[in-house]
Amino acid sequence: MSILLSLFLKLSAFSLIAFGGVNALLPVLFDLAVNQEHWIDVQTFSDYFAIAQAAPGPNFMTVTLIGWHIYGVLGALLATFAVSWPSSIMIFFLQRFIMRMKNPLSKKTIQYSAAALAIGLVLSSAFEIALQINHSMAAYVLTIGTIAITLLTRWHPLYLIAIGGALGVLGFI
Amino acid sequence: MSGFGGVLPWARRTLVERDKILTSEEFSAILGICQIVPGPNIMNLAVCIGSRFGGARGALAATLGLCLGPISIVLCLALLYEHYSYLESVKGLLRGISAVGVGLIASTGFKMMRDEFRYPAMFLVVALTIIAATVFHLGLGYVVLLIAPIAIFLARKKAQAL
Repeated sequence: MSILLSLFLKLSAFSLIAFGGVNALLPVLFDLAVNQEHWIDVQTFSDYFAIAQAAPGPNFMTVTLIGWHIYGVLGALLATFAVSWPSSIMIFFLQRFIMRMKNPLSKKTIQYSAAALAIGLVLSSAFEIALQINHSMAAYVLTIGTIAITLLTRWHPLYLIAIGGALGVLGFI
Repeated sequence: MSGFGGVLPWARRTLVERDKILTSEEFSAILGICQIVPGPNIMNLAVCIGSRFGGARGALAATLGLCLGPISIVLCLALLYEHYSYLESVKGLLRGISAVGVGLIASTGFKMMRDEFRYPAMFLVVALTIIAATVFHLGLGYVVLLIAPIAIFLARKKAQAL
C-alpha cells in the first residue's frame, strides 16, 4: 500500500511544476523511478518510453506504464490519475478567470512567459533523456534526423516512428 | 483513440473543422490557457472544453473519454512486451522508436521556439532555463521559481513591443 501512496504523492507533486507537459518532466520521472525509488531499471524506462511513443493517445503514457509495472492495472490507473488531477482542477477554476481577464497585456505576458519556460524545459528534457536512452552513434543520428525532418517537412510522426522501428529491427540502432 | 503522435492536431480537426463546436480563435485561446498551466496539455484541454459544455461533469466525461481507450491499448502493448521483450528484434524495435521519440519531443520545443524570433530577448529565458536544468541540474521546481521573474519581466516587454 505504501508504494501506491508514494507513487501517487510524488507524481501529483511533479504534475504541478510540469510546464510544457509531461514531456518536460521526463528526466524528473527518470530520476524518480530509476535512481531514487528503484521502481524500474534504465532499460525498462526507455522501453516504456518507446511503447508510449508508439501507442495512440496522449503522450504521457510512460507514467501509466510505470504505474502498471509497480502495481498492475490499479497502479496504471492511479499513476495516470496522479499526474492529471492537480492541473485539471487548477485549470478548471483558472480558465474562466483568464478568459475574462480584461487587460490583454497581462494576458499576453502570462502566455509569453509560460511559453518561454515551457520551451526551455522541453528542450532540456529531450537532451537529458537522449543521454539516457541513446546508446549508439546511430541512435543519435536517428534522433537528429527526426528533428530535421519534422522541422523541414510536414510528415506525419507515425511514419518516422515506423522508420525508426524498422531500422531498429534490422539492427542498425 | 486515433491520436497517433499526440492528440492535439486531431482534436483541432474534429472540434473546429468537422463538428464546428468551437471557432478557430476560440480553440487557440483555450489552447493558450492550457499551455500556461503545468500538467498534461491535452488533459487540460479536455477539462476546458468539457467544462464549457457540461460543467464539472463535462470535464470529467471529456478526460475519461480521452484516457480510457489509450490506457487499455497501452496496457495490452505492455503485456506483449512482458512476453516478447527478450527477443533481439523487439529490443531493436524499441531502441529505434525511442530514438525517434526523443527527436519528436525536441522538435516540439523547436517548433514552439519560432514565436520567440518575434522578440529575440525571450531566447534569454529559454537559454537560462536550459542551463539551469542541464548544467546545474536544479530541480524542476527551483528552475521554475528562479526563471519565472525574468520570464515575466521580458514577457511583459514583449507584449508591449508587439
